[in-house]
Amino acid sequence: MSINETYAHYSNLFIALSLVVYAVAFFAYCAEWAFGTSSRFGKNVEAVGAEKAKSGMIGRQAAAPVVEAVNATDGGNGVTVLTRSIAEDEEPTVSGGNLRAEIMGRFAVMASFIAFALHFAGVLCRGLAAHRVPWANMYEFSCAAALAMSFAYLVLLGLRKKVRWMGLPVTAIVLLTLGIAYTVLYTDAEELVPALNSYWLYIHVTAAVLSTGAFGVATVATILYLLKSYNEEGSLPRLSSTLSRLPSSVALDRTAYRVIAFIFPLWTFAIMAGAIWAEKAWGRYWGWDPKETWSFIVWVIYAAYLHARATHGWKGKAAAYIALLAFACVLFNYFGVNTLLTGKHSYAGL
Amino acid sequence: MSEQTAQETAGAAGADDAAPAGLEDARENDVRENSAEELLTEDAVEVARTERAEKLTTQPKADDAIAVPSLGVLGMLRWTWRQLTSMRIALVLLFMLSLAAIPGSLLPQREINPTQVVTFYTDHTKWAPILNDLQLFDVFESVWFGAIYCLLFISLIGCIVPRSWAHFKMMRSAPPAAPRNLKRLPVHASFTTTAESEEVLKLAAKRLKSRRFKTVRGTDRSGGWVSSEKGYLRETGNLVFHLSLIGILVGVAMGHFWGFKGAVLVTEGSGFSDTVTSYDSLTLGPGVSPPDLPNFSLVLNKFAATYQESGDQFAQPRTFDAYVSFKATPASAAKSMDLEVNSPITVNGTNIFLEGHGYSPVVEVKDGKGRVLYDGSVVFLGQDEYFDSSGAIKAPAYTSGGTDLGFQGWFLPTAYVTSGAMPASVFPAAQNPMLILSAYAGNLNMNGGEDQSVYSLDTTDMKQLSVKTKGESSAAGNALELKVGQTATLPNGDGSITFVGVKQWIQLNIAYDPGQKVVLPAAILAVLGLIGSLGIRRRRIWVRVSEQADGTRLVEVAGLARTEGATPTTDVTQTAQALAAAVRQPESVPDGASA
Repeated sequence: MSINETYAHYSNLFIALSLVVYAVAFFAYCAEWAFGTSSRFGKNVEAVGAEKAKSGMIGRQAAAPVVEAVNATDGGNGVTVLTRSIAEDEEPTVSGGNLRAEIMGRFAVMASFIAFALHFAGVLCRGLAAHRVPWANMYEFSCAAALAMSFAYLVLLGLRKKVRWMGLPVTAIVLLTLGIAYTVLYTDAEELVPALNSYWLYIHVTAAVLSTGAFGVATVATILYLLKSYNEEGSLPRLSSTLSRLPSSVALDRTAYRVIAFIFPLWTFAIMAGAIWAEKAWGRYWGWDPKETWSFIVWVIYAAYLHARATHGWKGKAAAYIALLAFACVLFNYFGVNTLLTGKHSYAGL
Repeated sequence: MSEQTAQETAGAAGADDAAPAGLEDARENDVRENSAEELLTEDAVEVARTERAEKLTTQPKADDAIAVPSLGVLGMLRWTWRQLTSMRIALVLLFMLSLAAIPGSLLPQREINPTQVVTFYTDHTKWAPILNDLQLFDVFESVWFGAIYCLLFISLIGCIVPRSWAHFKMMRSAPPAAPRNLKRLPVHASFTTTAESEEVLKLAAKRLKSRRFKTVRGTDRSGGWVSSEKGYLRETGNLVFHLSLIGILVGVAMGHFWGFKGAVLVTEGSGFSDTVTSYDSLTLGPGVSPPDLPNFSLVLNKFAATYQESGDQFAQPRTFDAYVSFKATPASAAKSMDLEVNSPITVNGTNIFLEGHGYSPVVEVKDGKGRVLYDGSVVFLGQDEYFDSSGAIKAPAYTSGGTDLGFQGWFLPTAYVTSGAMPASVFPAAQNPMLILSAYAGNLNMNGGEDQSVYSLDTTDMKQLSVKTKGESSAAGNALELKVGQTATLPNGDGSITFVGVKQWIQLNIAYDPGQKVVLPAAILAVLGLIGSLGIRRRRIWVRVSEQADGTRLVEVAGLARTEGATPTTDVTQTAQALAAAVRQPESVPDGASA
C-alpha cells in the first residue's frame, strides 16, 4: 500500500504544533515555580527534617516518614476515621497557595492536555499515512515514547494524584525528545522493511514504547527524590526553598516505585513478545543480539532495584541510584544500540 | 531500627536453622500467642511495622551477620549457603550478570557473527588472543558467565524453596489475632453502637469473607474480634515468578540438548535436502544424531525482492519472497510455497526461515584451449545496503598440474561508472549488473587439505594477470569490467571469462528447539506471577468490639498494609460505615437496646 501524503503532511504539522504548545506549557510550569511560595507546611517539614538531621536521627536511609500526622475525620454514618501517616492533601504544592502561581499551574496543565492531544493527532496521522503502527523507526519511536511519557503524567493527574510537581521536568523531557526526533531523527513516512512486517510489531514495540515512557516518568520522580532526600538531611541548602514545594521524599520515592512496579511486568512482557517474534522471524527466541542483550541488562537492573528496595541497607538512596542506572541503560539501549552497535535491530531509519 | 531489633531477636531465638522465610512465620506465631495470652502491653504499631518491614524483604534475612565464623567445615558450608542465599549476594550477582553481558554486546561474538571475529583478529593482532583467552568472543557460553547465572539460580532456589513451604503453611493457617490497641494502627475507624457484640462481629466476619478476606474470630479480655487478611496471591505470584525463571532455564537447557540449528545458502535453480552434508553450518545438540534430522527438501525457483526507490529511505527493502518447491518427505509431492520473512515453513516442529539474500553471478571460465573449467553461479556476499558484493571465482585446471585460473573482486547489482572513481553500486536491485575482477593464474592450492574460504582466493602461488584494457574506468585498477553477456580474454592465451547472467541466493536458517515448549509457558507464568507479585496488595483488617462504661459498645475497625504504601484506608472506612449502617437497621437492633 502506498503512503498517504496528506496524512503524512498533517502528522508533521501536528507534531510541530504540539512542540509549540509543549513549550508554552513548559514556560507556564516555570512561571508556577517562579511565582509560588513555599508553604508553611513545607517549612515545617524542613524544620523537622533539619532538626532530626542535626541530632543524627535520620541515618543514611530516609525510608521512615519524616512527619507522621494523626488525622481524624468524620467518615459518615457516625464513624470516626483516624489515619496516621501523611495524607496526600497535606503534601506541599508547587504554588504553595500563591494565587498567581496556582493560575499558571492550572494553565500549564491545560496546555499539557492540548499539547498531548496535538501530539496524539500527529502520531495517529503518521500511522494513518503509513497504514501501520507509527513506531517503526527512531523518529516514530521517539515521538511515541514521548507521547507515552506525557500520557503517563496526565493519567496520574487524571487519577487525582497531586503530581503537578512532575509537570515541569516531564514537559522538559518530552520537549527535548520531540525536539531531537523532529530535527535529528526525522525520516519520511514509509512502508515497512520486510523484517518488521508482522503483527508482533504492534504487540512488542507498543509494550516497549509504553515502558520507555513510564520509566522516564519514574526517573523524574527518582531524581527529585534524591534531591529532596539530601535536602531533608541538611545538604543542598540553596535548593531548600525550591525543594520544600515538592512532596516529601517518602512520597516521591513511593511514586517512583509505584510507576516502576507497575511498568516492570509490561517491560518483561515486551522482552517476551520480542523473543516470540524473534523465534518467528529469525529462528531463535534469544540470540544475544545487542538489543536483546541491553534489554536484558535493563531488565536485570530494574529487577535489582525492586529487590534492593526491599533489602535492609539498600532501600532509599542506594535503590534510587540503581533506578537511575537502569534508566541510563534504557537510554543506551535506545540511542547507543541503535546508532553505535550493529545487530538485527537496525531499524533506526537514519 | 525496628528491623534490626527483629533480626537480633530472631537471631537469638534462632538456634534452629530458621530459614528466613520461616522467620516471618515464627514472628507471626509470636504475635498470635502474645496477644492471645495478653502479655502484650506493647506497641502494636511497632510489631506491625516490623512485620511490614519484613514483608518487604523478598529474600532471606541472615544478611546482618556477616562475621566470618570459626565453625569448622560444616559451619563454613552453612555460612557459605546462608551468604549465597542472602539478598545482598543475590543483588551483587544480579549486577555482575548485567555487567558480564555488556562485553557480549560490544565485542563481536562467534555465536552471532563469526566473520566479524575474524576481522577483529586481523585488526587487533595483539589484543585478540588475550580477549580470546578471556572467552570474550564467546561471552554467553563462557565459564564466568555461566558461573554467575548458576550461582544466581542456586541463590534463587535456596531462597524460594523454603519460602514456598512457609507460604504454603501460612496459607493454611489463620490470620493472626487482633492487636489490643487498634488505635495505633495506620488506619482506624470507630463508632459506638448498642447492638450486641456477637451481632456486629458476625456481620463483620460475613462482610469480610464476602470480600474474599481470610477471616477468623476470637475473643480476649477486651472483647471479641475478627481478624482477616487478603492478598496472599501476592506472595504466590512472587514464588510463581521465581519458579518460572527456573522453568525458563530448564527449557533453554533442553533446547540446547535436543535441538539443532543450521544454515545453508541456496541459489536460484538449485536445491537443498536436509542431510548433514548439505548444510553450510550445523550445530547438533548432544541429544540429536544425524538420522534425527527431518528429511525435507526444497528447490529455490525464484527469489524476488523490492526496494524503496525514492525518499528518505531510498534502497530500504520492502518485500522479500522466496518461491520454493517444497517436499516435506522424499515421497511426498512437491508443493509450491512462498517463503517470506516472518513466516517460516514448519515441518514436524522444525522451522525454515528466510534469513538473508544476495547475488550469485553466473560465469563461464575457459582455459587457453577453449575447454570449460567452470560454468555456473558463484555466491558473492553483499557488503552494504546497495549490495556491493565481494567474492571469488575458482576455476581449477582441466587436468591436474595445469594452470588454475582464479578471479576475485566485486559484483555490483546497479553499477554506476564514472571517471576517476571506483565503480560502485547505487541500488540493491540488479538493474545494471557488473563484475569487476582481478584475474590470477597459477595454483589455487585447493588440494592443500586446509579448508579454504569460498569467498576469497589463496593467491600465494598465483600470479596476477595484467588485464587492464582500454575504455575502462581508470579507478578500478588492474581489473576486468564485465557486463552481462560480455567476455574477456585473458592475456598470454590463458583463457577467457564470460559473464553469463545473474542469479540470487538466499540464506536459510533451519532450527529445531524442543525447549520452546517449556520456555514459553514458563515465560507466560513468569509475567503473570510478576503482575500478581507487584500488583496485588496484601493487607489485614481487624474488627474489635469492646464494652464501654456507659453500656454501649465501641466498634473499632483497623487496617494494616503488608505491602508498602497499601494502607487499606478505603477498606477500613467502608467496612466501618457498612457495619454502622447495618447494625442501625431496626430489625437488627436487639430488643433490649435503648439508645
